Amino acid sequence: MADSDQEPEIKDEDLVARTQSGDPRAFDGLVRKYSPRLYGLVYNMTSNHEDTNDLLQDIFSKAYRSIKGFKGKSSFYTWLHTIATNMTINFLKKRSRKYQMSLDDIDNGVQHDPQFIELTSGPDARREVNLKELQQRLNEAMMKLSNEHRAVVTMFDIQGMPHAEIGKILGISEGTVRSRLFYAHRQLQNYLQEFINA
Amino acid sequence: MNQDVHKLLRLKRYEMPSSDYFERFIDEFHHRQRADLISRPTLHILFERVMNAFPDFHVPRLAYAGVAMAAVALSALILFSQQEESSPAASFALNSPTVTRLPAGQGDIRQPVSMRPDLPPHYVLETRPVSYASPYSF
Repeated sequence: MADSDQEPEIKDEDLVARTQSGDPRAFDGLVRKYSPRLYGLVYNMTSNHEDTNDLLQDIFSKAYRSIKGFKGKSSFYTWLHTIATNMTINFLKKRSRKYQMSLDDIDNGVQHDPQFIELTSGPDARREVNLKELQQRLNEAMMKLSNEHRAVVTMFDIQGMPHAEIGKILGISEGTVRSRLFYAHRQLQNYLQEFINA
Repeated sequence: MNQDVHKLLRLKRYEMPSSDYFERFIDEFHHRQRADLISRPTLHILFERVMNAFPDFHVPRLAYAGVAMAAVALSALILFSQQEESSPAASFALNSPTVTRLPAGQGDIRQPVSMRPDLPPHYVLETRPVSYASPYSF
């Protein structure tokens, strides 16, 4: 698109209004802006790249078809995340148990992350953690959580959303978000014991 | 909150597809949109366009209950009227001949007409047909 460099600076409300009035190019701006973030949400809930790709296409298609019904009672961000979360949870309910993980490559930026440095460069020999192994174990641990708990963990721990926002997206109270997080962390601690105590 | 678990999970944000993935994603999105438009049933598209033309139109929830109640009442009425028509008592009343009781003194109606004193006098011709035409005999 010719104006792709300018679109990220335009406010969501303007892009939504233009899309609602029949300008499909305005929706491209919203797709560009939100696809990386939604990718992270869906991918961390499915642990499968191909499923994430298909689901993300369906999510944006649904959002495009329903955007005329968007009244702006919540932010577009919340509205879109609600669609994404509901569709992903529905997909996971139908997905066969015999699925296979299909993990993305890890960005090189992780090598400079303080947490990763702390985990891998200590004097203790046990801290020499293989990056792929850590990725595998983290994904396995995530997949042992229920869909609802995984959604909360993904949004809070990985994407850094505040409790209130998560509550709005999932249609639950902040207290429920906190209690789900508490329960999920306790479960994850058991699965990831060797990395935490390293 | 468990900080150790939180820090470990934060590392997962580095799992991302290659940078050109998202550019390809938009192209694929356009492609799928076109394919979807072609493959979707016409009625579905028409319904969606009508709904988009009237975004504020929502059928009130109670309307469904009202329609359901009217349908139930209508069905019950039809069933009831059908049952009435097909009940044995009704068919007997409609199909059997009407029995009329004669007033006392009118005699037995099973008697030959010629022997009944309550009827005016009348004449019965011989059973042989009467005709002035010449018989078909040669």
